[in-house]
Amino acid sequence: MNILDLLTKIDRRIIYLVLLVVVILPLLFPKAQSTRVMLPVEKLFNAVENIPEEKALIIDFDYAPQTQPELEPMGFALLRHVFKRRIKLLVLSLYIQPLGLAQNALTRIVEEFNSVAETNADSIIYGRDYVFLGWVPPPIIPILGMGESITNVYEVDYYGNRTDTLLLMRDIKNYNDVELLVSLSGADPPKYWVAYAQNKFGLKVGAGITAVSASEYYTFLQTGQFSGLLVGMKGAAEYEELVEQRLDIKVKRKASEALLSITYAHLVMIAFIIIGNVGYFMRRRQK
Amino acid sequence: MKKTLPLFLVLILGVAGTLTYLFPHPAIVNSDTFFRNEFLRVLAGFALVLGLGSLLKVHADKIRRKRANWQYSWILIVTFVITSFIGLFGGIEGTGPLPTRIGNFPFDIWTIYWNVTVPLGATMFALLAFFMASAAYRAFRARSTEATILLAAAFVVMIGVLPLGNSISPHLPSFAQWIMDVPNVAGQRGILFGVALGGVATALKIILGIERAWLGGGKE
Repeated sequence: MNILDLLTKIDRRIIYLVLLVVVILPLLFPKAQSTRVMLPVEKLFNAVENIPEEKALIIDFDYAPQTQPELEPMGFALLRHVFKRRIKLLVLSLYIQPLGLAQNALTRIVEEFNSVAETNADSIIYGRDYVFLGWVPPPIIPILGMGESITNVYEVDYYGNRTDTLLLMRDIKNYNDVELLVSLSGADPPKYWVAYAQNKFGLKVGAGITAVSASEYYTFLQTGQFSGLLVGMKGAAEYEELVEQRLDIKVKRKASEALLSITYAHLVMIAFIIIGNVGYFMRRRQK
Repeated sequence: MKKTLPLFLVLILGVAGTLTYLFPHPAIVNSDTFFRNEFLRVLAGFALVLGLGSLLKVHADKIRRKRANWQYSWILIVTFVITSFIGLFGGIEGTGPLPTRIGNFPFDIWTIYWNVTVPLGATMFALLAFFMASAAYRAFRARSTEATILLAAAFVVMIGVLPLGNSISPHLPSFAQWIMDVPNVAGQRGILFGVALGGVATALKIILGIERAWLGGGKE
């Protein structure tokens, strides 16, 4: 095997092995990476921060297990922000698969806050501070229906309670009482919220999306249709950074810890692309 | 009649669906709300049953005719039956009439979700990174000026979005963000307009009965 073959015909199993090692090693010895916060993330943080006391935030947890590693840290960071600032919160999913992950995120962050709470007022109480609305199919029904009446669309919540009996829902009737909706998804739901809820009812929309779908969503940010945007693991890490710096919440930062893995993976990919190109140009010159 | 009735329904409901945006008169809005909240939910229920029935029919047919990879259809049917049985009689958290616990081990929908759905979904997506790395190595070549620009932009964005980019130069993350905000948005917006106009054209063709492929084959 000559040098050209060595450069242009690397066995794919070697590529897989190298990538596996550089991804796994930093995860075995995690260390949170500090990161520079970019404007799209800061915008979303400020949009959440500026929610008036009488208005609510809706978080649409629409990530499936496939996109959980990227989007779940966003959900955690957002929930910490919301509970720290005591913002009224409604949680829902447009599809059935993310329901379990949404409940898991809620339970985990609520327990995190309640474990250090000293009084009832300090605690995060279901029905008073947040409501998990659950899932109503198909997506168009809740997106448009909540503009008229939230309790009509979600007659019962995820746990089977009648929503009109919950304390929080007495003040939150429809989108007029909602300041912002953040959609965390690896697919199209953020676009649905813009196309229907924003266009028809003027609802402000923010989004947390996977890195792979980032390019198509920047158009919505530039036009102001998105109030802010979190992109991939980096976006989640930036939000974690803001939550730690500005809200003084010091907890394990999952996305910030994963950044080292991504850094090495990107460098390995770049290295392999360069090797392939060096081989390609050498072969071309030889011809 | 088999084709005329669906075409007529699509025309009426298609026009009614757009009217609420064009003429937000209370009468139109109220009827739209009724159709959406009451009618659409029932339709969605029927669509679910129809979809599941169709899925089972396709796979049963595949097994009967011993088509390529027919063995996998058995896996689908068996897991479908088991999951449905546990879901219908065991409940989400084992609260149904069926005993869904052997000793300390529960086998309700929740167990299936956390131990099968979640790991399988994560595994499928995790494999992508390996395929992408291998494909990028083989296909990403600076063959032309355009390809070289694309390659350079990719490198800037890949490094610029990482903390490493900021360590190399504080301008690198800003440059990466500019690539996403300006050239990327310019291209994406063109695509978006094209897709939107194409969507409107296709919707009009379906509503007006010009495009009839969705009706499927068969005789009048």
